[in-house]
Amino acid sequence: MAIVEVLILVVCFIVTLAMGVPIAFAIGISGVVTLLVSMDFMPAVTTVAQRMATGLDSFAILAIPFFILAGQLMNRGGIARRLIDLAKSMVGVLPGGLAHVNIMAAMLFGSISGSSVAAASAVGGVMIPRMDEAGYDRGFGAAVNITSATTGLVIPPSNILIVYSLASGGVSIAALFLAGYLPGMLMGLSLMVVSGFIAVRKKYPREKRLRPAEIVRNFVDALPSLFMLLVVIGGIVAGYFTATEASAVAVAYALVLALFYREINISDLPDILLETSKTTAIVMLLIATSMGLSWVMALENIPQNVSAGLIGLAENPIVILLIINVLLLAVGTFMDMTPAVLIFTPIFLPIVQDLGMDPVHFGIMMVVNLCVGLCTPPVGSVLFVGCALAGIPITRVIRPLLPLFAAMIVSLMIVTYVPELSLWLPRLFGF
Amino acid sequence: MNKLRQAIDRSLGWLLVVLMGAAVLNVLWQVFTRWVLKDPSSYTEELARYLLIWIGLLGAAYGVGQKLHLAIDILPTALSGRKQRALNIVIQIAVAAFSFAVMVVGGMRLVWLTLRFDQVSAALGIPLGYVYSALPLSGVLIVFYAACMIADERAVATPPGQAAEPNDGA
Repeated sequence: MAIVEVLILVVCFIVTLAMGVPIAFAIGISGVVTLLVSMDFMPAVTTVAQRMATGLDSFAILAIPFFILAGQLMNRGGIARRLIDLAKSMVGVLPGGLAHVNIMAAMLFGSISGSSVAAASAVGGVMIPRMDEAGYDRGFGAAVNITSATTGLVIPPSNILIVYSLASGGVSIAALFLAGYLPGMLMGLSLMVVSGFIAVRKKYPREKRLRPAEIVRNFVDALPSLFMLLVVIGGIVAGYFTATEASAVAVAYALVLALFYREINISDLPDILLETSKTTAIVMLLIATSMGLSWVMALENIPQNVSAGLIGLAENPIVILLIINVLLLAVGTFMDMTPAVLIFTPIFLPIVQDLGMDPVHFGIMMVVNLCVGLCTPPVGSVLFVGCALAGIPITRVIRPLLPLFAAMIVSLMIVTYVPELSLWLPRLFGF
Repeated sequence: MNKLRQAIDRSLGWLLVVLMGAAVLNVLWQVFTRWVLKDPSSYTEELARYLLIWIGLLGAAYGVGQKLHLAIDILPTALSGRKQRALNIVIQIAVAAFSFAVMVVGGMRLVWLTLRFDQVSAALGIPLGYVYSALPLSGVLIVFYAACMIADERAVATPPGQAAEPNDGA
């Protein structure tokens, strides 16, 4: 009976997670224990071991450590300051200018570095003290920094979309990257609208208008960093590179740029490579054990069972998508994005594909959804970094976060129910 | 044990740095041969995949040693004193048990099977068993690190020459 295995898997997973076993191991343990119900010990452990190794045996996944490495080089390479200056030229004159600068810089930086935690610390590290000086409420500044840092996960290049491509069984990375642009910008825009309203009510200042010469200079300064995006995304979309090759080119480009700016030396490289290995290690073990678990789930027909249950609950596609979104929001509050995508893609994707949803669209919806969870307690990596950076307890940032959450949820609903927002750009390029 | 642990930390760290650097150069070489030499290299893609298996699995072990892996630590941080240490020990035992059963035992069997059936890789011609040997190697290292951390917890519980702290919360 499949139901026994499902029960064992779910209970085992929840118990190990709640105990505080690292998520990657909780995933692996649940997979093996479930498999032991229907298989002998030796074949079970050998199969899971093999799935772990073959799960990593992929050229596409190698793009993840490379984008992390390129991001590391960019972080140390003085890129954040240049992008903040560029953002200031673009949106500084709006009411509550510094909040908009933070959001815009996070969108630019997050897309280049591919990490929301890096975006929160690099941009927030500069912007929160500045907002403080200008009389902004510290909690509001931190909340803006935290929420806007997640936009870079949707705007390409984005490692989480590569993880999704893997978990979904090979949805085109180029299509996912193109699909991320408009939803990511929508998120940023909705955060700016809400921040604008708050700024008007609290009478936060505008930044003084820059002279045209300054605007041009800021733009020229940021150009080499923006050019990398063109090489990477343009190269992938035009078919010159695979995502992995593009990520390696990005590493070389970022290294040359950082050396040219004299922000790092060759002797810093081992340290940077080790930092990259650390971040990579977390993602890779999650991928390895998740590949074991998703094989077990397929063996036990778990996606079909969940699908049957959900469709029994509601038949209306709009309602089913709403239920999936609520479930994912709940998952996101206590689980980081990578494991959530790896575990829930194989479960939910077959369901929504039955409803006629494009897998590219679903991937974007899922990532936008899980962005909210990164900013919520009890577990939210960006929330923690943002609060630590601003030097305030989580309780002080909750209230200012609420209107910004509302903006994110509205964006999520638009992304969910307007497929064209995600699919228009990839279709334009023939995906 | 601490000396050994530091030595392993350092060697693993350097090995990861070298493997990661090699992976980047390898893929850049692939781009270079295709676009500049117009003679695409035949082995770079396979080498890249195998490097990733080693980076991923050895990195996983390194991550256990450095306590990098994400966990939901609500329960461990809510507890204190003896209960917290007991829970931490149980967590490490779970990690070690999985790594021993799957990565060491399952991994060794996988290595043995692929070597016995003479499976070699398509482009480079290396036995796949060598590639998969990253599994048992990483498994052994994880068990070692878990054992170190259990020893740490127990050392806190009973400092040498005296009983457990009197105000040990419980």
